Amino acid sequence: MNQLTRAIDSWFGRGEASITIPPMDGAFRPNDHLDLAASNLEAPAPDCLAVTTQGVIVSSDRSLLRVDKPHGAEIASFDMAISALTGLPDGGAAVGLVDGRIVFVGGERGGTTLAKNPDIACITALTPASDGALLVANGSATNGPAAWKRDLMEKNASGSVWRIDRQGRASCLAGDLAYPYGLLEDAGSLVVSESWRCALTRISSSADGRKEPVLENLPAYPSRLSRADDMTIWLALFAPRSQLVEFVLSENGYRARMIREIDADYWVAPCLRSGLTPLEPTQQGGVKQLGVLKPWSPSRSYGLVARLDPAFRPTASLHSRANGRRHGVTSCLMVDKRLFFAAKGDGIVASRTYEGLAS
Amino acid sequence: MTEPPLPDNPQPPETPLLEMRKVSKEYRGVAALKTIDFQLRRGEVHAIVGENGAGKSTLVKILSGVVAPSAGEIRLAGERIQIAGPAFARRYGIAMVYQETSLVPSLTVAQNLYLGDEKFYNRLRGTYIEAQQFLQSLNFPVDPTATVQSLGTAKRQMVEIARAVRLNAKVIIFDEPTATLTPEEKHHLFTLIDRLRKEKVSIIFISHALEEALDISDRITVLRDGAHIVTADAKTFSRETLIRHMVGRSLSDELYGRPRDNSRVRPPGDKVLSVQNLSMQNVVRNTSFSIFAGQVTGVFGLVGSGRTETARIIAGVVKRDLFHGGDVRLNGKSVRYRTPRDAVVDGIVYVTEDRKGDGFFETMSVAENVYMGQISSANSHGAVVSMGEMKALAAEWTNKLNIKTLNSDARVIELSGGNQQKVVIAKALVQAPKLIIFDEPTRGVDVGAIAEIHNMIGSLADQGLAVVVISSYLPEILSLSDRILVSRQGRVVEELSPEEATSEAVMFAAVH
Repeated sequence: MNQLTRAIDSWFGRGEASITIPPMDGAFRPNDHLDLAASNLEAPAPDCLAVTTQGVIVSSDRSLLRVDKPHGAEIASFDMAISALTGLPDGGAAVGLVDGRIVFVGGERGGTTLAKNPDIACITALTPASDGALLVANGSATNGPAAWKRDLMEKNASGSVWRIDRQGRASCLAGDLAYPYGLLEDAGSLVVSESWRCALTRISSSADGRKEPVLENLPAYPSRLSRADDMTIWLALFAPRSQLVEFVLSENGYRARMIREIDADYWVAPCLRSGLTPLEPTQQGGVKQLGVLKPWSPSRSYGLVARLDPAFRPTASLHSRANGRRHGVTSCLMVDKRLFFAAKGDGIVASRTYEGLAS
Repeated sequence: MTEPPLPDNPQPPETPLLEMRKVSKEYRGVAALKTIDFQLRRGEVHAIVGENGAGKSTLVKILSGVVAPSAGEIRLAGERIQIAGPAFARRYGIAMVYQETSLVPSLTVAQNLYLGDEKFYNRLRGTYIEAQQFLQSLNFPVDPTATVQSLGTAKRQMVEIARAVRLNAKVIIFDEPTATLTPEEKHHLFTLIDRLRKEKVSIIFISHALEEALDISDRITVLRDGAHIVTADAKTFSRETLIRHMVGRSLSDELYGRPRDNSRVRPPGDKVLSVQNLSMQNVVRNTSFSIFAGQVTGVFGLVGSGRTETARIIAGVVKRDLFHGGDVRLNGKSVRYRTPRDAVVDGIVYVTEDRKGDGFFETMSVAENVYMGQISSANSHGAVVSMGEMKALAAEWTNKLNIKTLNSDARVIELSGGNQQKVVIAKALVQAPKLIIFDEPTRGVDVGAIAEIHNMIGSLADQGLAVVVISSYLPEILSLSDRILVSRQGRVVEELSPEEATSEAVMFAAVH
């Protein structure tokens, strides 16, 4: 009966097969708060933010840069691009590289490197555990961090979360995750942002790694998580969901051919910055105003940071709308009542005070 | 009754063709029009604008003879006339073009044109030729042999207008003529109105689209709460000044209490309902919004904006589009109700705007009506009816909602509007909802009961229920809501917090 219902729903495009996206309303009501933030640094593809003894730092391609210095004074550089970064309790930082190595910078373990683990080839997020171990999000078992778009279009759920102790021993905490892109320890368990499920998932600390939803049906694809001093949680969402992409995700033949024949930059897929070339796909649409149908095309990129209460309920959000210049936010961090965010799509790290902002 | 003579004495050019002097209309003691003065000049297009309930429809119903005024006089070309019915209006040369046309769908265009004016012996071919010539003279591209049901909205309106012109109408009243027209059809209509103006036909044009009123009319009259606010040349108005005239209030503010205290806005709880890309024909168009627990979400929109239809889809009263009709998620779970009872069992209750039609059984007692709510809820005992339970339930809710009735055996029809509404609400609340949708909760309710109903709505949100209030009345929305959604043309187009929600801002979103 279930299969029959599913087949009927699929035919009518309803139920689980309905091609819909959640509205950006309530706590996700659009505003221009990200665009109004002061720019701290312009750098190529700034990705992940962290706090160390050197202040707020950001990963940008192969370099670690200081956010508070003009032109971003370089702290360290690597032979490979950086895919994840976290600050450590000792003031140092752990850096995940695209080839799977983890390098420590500063702090007690500064200068050491954890060798590549064949099971962890796509490091998307790092966070220190309370017992001194390092928690690692492995986005995909088959694609590297740069091929995230392919991972989405292949509808993979092959990501995993790992715990690497101080001796370098890795143990898998949970698997079958749809691109884990953010990690946060919470009350003895671990909360993971699963990008392709557009949800936050709690992974229990028990041996079975039981998963339960924390926040579902987000209007955009979530990435990194961080906690502020006041215990509120900040979530970066790197691209908006759209009905067109949801539709393409439901069309297997079309998608397979698109992956096979078209350059990934021009796929019908979310992206960190759209509107740069006329070769990009455009969704035709229209809005009727005063009886006149005006052409309109939803943007494939967007800037969004959400503030969650300690129970992971959205309470407010900051946006860079379709016409904004702070798209593709992959990381955000609250430091001394100032919210820093890295808009990877537009190559900007910016910050603003948060207190008193209306959602 | 003798046929009223048509005044034909020549008038000085400044004499208005049609004039209303101190006209009032009361429905069971409720004033719908309050001593209105209105003048329509020869060959002018006169727009009447105002919010829902401002009195526009009552005014034109009086002119078209559908209702009789309670007081005041009407003059045609300076002569006092009595419009005792639609036939009288037609004889005086006043024709009305309704939004939903009054044509007979199964008859041909020609038959409709000559309906009620048939000769003893009708030769269909002759009628068609005559109709063809007549339609051509008006430049209407309509086939006289086509049945009306096969025509689009614009062409139906052309037939309606042609009928008015054929009857030598000197005044044609258009009630929301553009609501269902495409831009091209609208253009045709405006060209036609312009031509009628040149032929010295006077036009009364009612529209919610202020741009249209500003574009096409020579003069504009603004009504509010049944009172005449201003009449002036269209050129002297801007969209903003019109909105200001439409929403500026006095009486209503007193009626609905002072605006919301913004420091006491309830914070949102969990997301209870997520409506995603919901569609139903061209009434609800790809609308998306969320409803949160512990808050009153006000939904404002003008008539035809799809608010009620959206609520009725959510509550399982009507069905969304079969193909890709969108998704409704209750507490994260996709739901689709075949009957309202399914929704009630899941905790969604809809309190109808049409309480007499859909809200209660008028021949049944208060107790029986309240018990009907219980029977359809998840707590129902099936077909077993317990008289004791019915009485206890009636006593409990009569007391809780302060329903003023002699006893619970009194028939609902015997109660006042406010108490009837309380019975409908009791019938809904007895079902222990998690989400309750009030559609026009205080329409036709006496002043005293309005405050009680508003307090009750607020206390439901305080108890943690997700409450939705749909209202066409801005002060009600502004005074009740913790969050305001504005609906236009079948979709939610704006969300406002109480701090942002001024009358002008809400109305601006509703008409643009």
